[in-house]
Amino acid sequence: MTTETTPIRGMGHSVKRKEDPRFLRGKGRYVDDIKLPGMLYMDIVRSPYAHANITRIDASKALALPGVLAVITGKDLDEAGLAWMPTLMGDKQMVLPVDRVVYQAQEVAAVIATERYIAADAITLIEVEYEPLPPVMDPFKALEADSPLVRPDREQKTNHIWHWEAGDAAQTDAIFQQAEVVVKQDLYIPRIHVSSIETCGCVASFDSVEGKLTVYMTTQAPHAIRTVFSLVTGIAEHKIRIVSPDIGGGFGGKVPVYPGYVIASVASLKTGHPVKWIEDRSENLQADSFARDYHISAELAATKDGAMQALRVKTLADHGAFDAAANPSKFPAGLFSVITGSYTLKAAHVEVDGVYTNKPSGGVAYRCSFRVTEAVHTIERMVDTLAQQLGLDPADVRMKNFIQPEAFPYTSPTGWEYDSGNYPAALRKAMEKIDYAGLRQEQAEKRARGELMGIGISTFTEIVGAGPSHTFDILGIKMFDSCEIRVHPTGSVIARIGVQSQGQGHETTFAQIVAEELGLPVENITVEHGDTDTAPYGLGTYASRSTPTAGAATAVAARKIREKARKIAAHLLEANVDDLEWQDYKFQVKGSPGRSVGMKEIAFAAYTNFPSDVEAGLEAVDYYDPPNLTFPFGAYICVVDIDRGTGQVKIRRFVAVDDCGNIINPMIVDGQIHGGLTMGMAPALMEAITYDENGNMQQGTFMEYLLPTAMETPVWETDKTITPSPHHPFGAKGVGESATVGAPPAIANAVVDALSHLGVTHIDIPITPWKVYAILEAHGVAEL
Amino acid sequence: MHFSGSQQIKAPAAKVWQFVLDPNKVAECAPGFKTMDILGPDRFKPTLAVGIGAVKATFTLDVHLEDVHEPDHAAMRARGSAAGSAVDMKAAMDLKALSESETQMDWTADVNVSGTLASVGARLMEGTAQRLTARFFDCFRQKLEAPEPSAAPATPVAPEASEAS
Repeated sequence: MTTETTPIRGMGHSVKRKEDPRFLRGKGRYVDDIKLPGMLYMDIVRSPYAHANITRIDASKALALPGVLAVITGKDLDEAGLAWMPTLMGDKQMVLPVDRVVYQAQEVAAVIATERYIAADAITLIEVEYEPLPPVMDPFKALEADSPLVRPDREQKTNHIWHWEAGDAAQTDAIFQQAEVVVKQDLYIPRIHVSSIETCGCVASFDSVEGKLTVYMTTQAPHAIRTVFSLVTGIAEHKIRIVSPDIGGGFGGKVPVYPGYVIASVASLKTGHPVKWIEDRSENLQADSFARDYHISAELAATKDGAMQALRVKTLADHGAFDAAANPSKFPAGLFSVITGSYTLKAAHVEVDGVYTNKPSGGVAYRCSFRVTEAVHTIERMVDTLAQQLGLDPADVRMKNFIQPEAFPYTSPTGWEYDSGNYPAALRKAMEKIDYAGLRQEQAEKRARGELMGIGISTFTEIVGAGPSHTFDILGIKMFDSCEIRVHPTGSVIARIGVQSQGQGHETTFAQIVAEELGLPVENITVEHGDTDTAPYGLGTYASRSTPTAGAATAVAARKIREKARKIAAHLLEANVDDLEWQDYKFQVKGSPGRSVGMKEIAFAAYTNFPSDVEAGLEAVDYYDPPNLTFPFGAYICVVDIDRGTGQVKIRRFVAVDDCGNIINPMIVDGQIHGGLTMGMAPALMEAITYDENGNMQQGTFMEYLLPTAMETPVWETDKTITPSPHHPFGAKGVGESATVGAPPAIANAVVDALSHLGVTHIDIPITPWKVYAILEAHGVAEL
Repeated sequence: MHFSGSQQIKAPAAKVWQFVLDPNKVAECAPGFKTMDILGPDRFKPTLAVGIGAVKATFTLDVHLEDVHEPDHAAMRARGSAAGSAVDMKAAMDLKALSESETQMDWTADVNVSGTLASVGARLMEGTAQRLTARFFDCFRQKLEAPEPSAAPATPVAPEASEAS
């Protein structure tokens, strides 16, 4: 027996990522690496117009090109009842248009050819005649009575999609009427793009003998996709297999079903060959679902000494031409109502209205736990706005208004029950680490010399781990998640999980959970995910839900195995089951540490020497329905210097203190936070999608759509506090999105702070050099 | 995008009028001109290769002459498409005889480019469109002022065609 000599390395160990050897050696298997015998290639004709009638499609020249086997149009799909498909938000979406297009770069027709390059040539030979219609680009104008309709297919003849609200309007209004101080601010959180390194694509392969459709797909939610595919196509669900292999970044952009997946599947059915479709970078940027695009109007009521009392928020959400985000059914605006943040308020009322425009589908949750980024940006900017108006220090205002550690579980004015938190401790830690008092002194000295330096704070509360089945579902499917564990006779393990990894390191962290619970070395545990033929059903990885849901299922399944193992241990130790205790990863007879047996021996006995009243084998499955969400939080402090000659904002220091409860793998958590901070800096300073008045998206390449590289990324200083979740089986909370959510307001607050003495009270993100320089110029402090 | 311009051409108004109503002559001035189908006296389809930045596209334009008032006003509208891109254009010009041998041409053009060309070349779009439009009209002047035998070298056209295609 070698178990004793091989370390377990369960919870809290920085185990090197099991997936990295294959990635670092170029041996990952992404969708575009998949090549099947006889495979054909698909390319897509896209609309140049944002809004137009299609009067004619002539594919004859494309079909005459040698190597072209088929052209698929909306009319072809319409005959099969597949021209439209349901979205995950209960709307419907065109797969291919029959007679009109509703956004620029929308799919219009597809070519299937023997080679990728022939397909690309052939799409230029398809003649499409359009009759341009006026595009609806501004969500405010979209709601005016004389606006053209984006979606005349709907019964409701309006561009308004839905209205959603939370909190108590009457109580909130009453507080505002009596309030000593009211601060008001409009904010625009611009449209941004997920821009994962791997674009979207699939290989669809229909086996006409078996009657089975296999689709290798860049998806974050393979099981839900299988169910939707079955419902839409009528193919029996056991005859559909969705495989999500290695995925090069998801961030929410790979949750929706894109038309390309469906068209490629139809093409495989039609041709009898496997069909590959992979987007190029510009297609990905122009046509895939987008995030954010919230026009927010916020008001905060407070007392003269800075005690926050009530929050009132109205929001217009630009959802593009199809409501194709993947928010839970009851939450069309996601978890935006967590907007009261880390602060005690007597009341709050928040309203969101979804609007159609001639843009690709918006509202996708980009590393933001369902709209929490927008919520956190709003409340964190409002706290600073209040502090500025009252002449108070923003750290003091936060300390004064924090929900106190003893107040948990805390019910927010919009109805969320925060499970746990210690906000003052996190902020104090961040302030000490960065020397907040020293920075304020430095700032005063620099200001006297005319130098522009700012300090920004964000003390955010996240809400992740959707979610409890009584509240959360997508298209009716409850948002539980699952794990199935099998222990082999020699003590190695396979764990299959319902969630799926796009780079989060599940093959490592979930193995650590099993290692911790079963006392078996992490090396001997394989984690599988992403194949619907083998993995248990689950809702997928997004919104920082994997550890809170499937992570919990993994621990619970392992504990079920441990309970069975206890009976086998009792048999092996010739002791009573009740006399055994689990100590140091072993079962031992209470009071007799010498009489013990480890999981490796128990596993062997489970197949070779089990008691007569116990079934052979050692396996378990758990479908975990979380009792509540988890509420990670953090305190971020950012120091910026502004170049008066260029308007460039330079992040000099950034301290991030995060609390995600108990940590499985500190190295992976640190990696998540570093990546998240960088992805939070980008929309704060660089990224935005804009459209011209004709509906052309103006950032069609990475030349125009600025993503941060190592050159723009500052040194992140990370630290942590640990406040375990009281209801999660091992006290974890989820961390993937904390930094993306928390970072932008810290940066925006720092820039406004640097310019506050000039009278600047707000700047919308992205805070580009051009925007800052214009402000400097307007206030006469720009250097020429 | 709205552009306008004015130029003085050292040629009689009647000669200028004749030139601008001859689709073959006008098309040769179009950026990246390749081929031409003449469908009627007021309808023709030139093929143009245009590039903005690194993106190149071959457009087939459907041009309608309209609102033709001899001897001093003509307008046209055109719509064309290329892979993933489209262009919609309206242009008008007015002639005024300054003397027997000199004519003033005032022109306006509204150009809308859609699709990939507009998305990928957004930063360069306005500048490129303005330059190509201005050169289109300037080319009229160059051709009209060129020495009578049409052995005139194609140089006035060539540089912009290569830059644009």
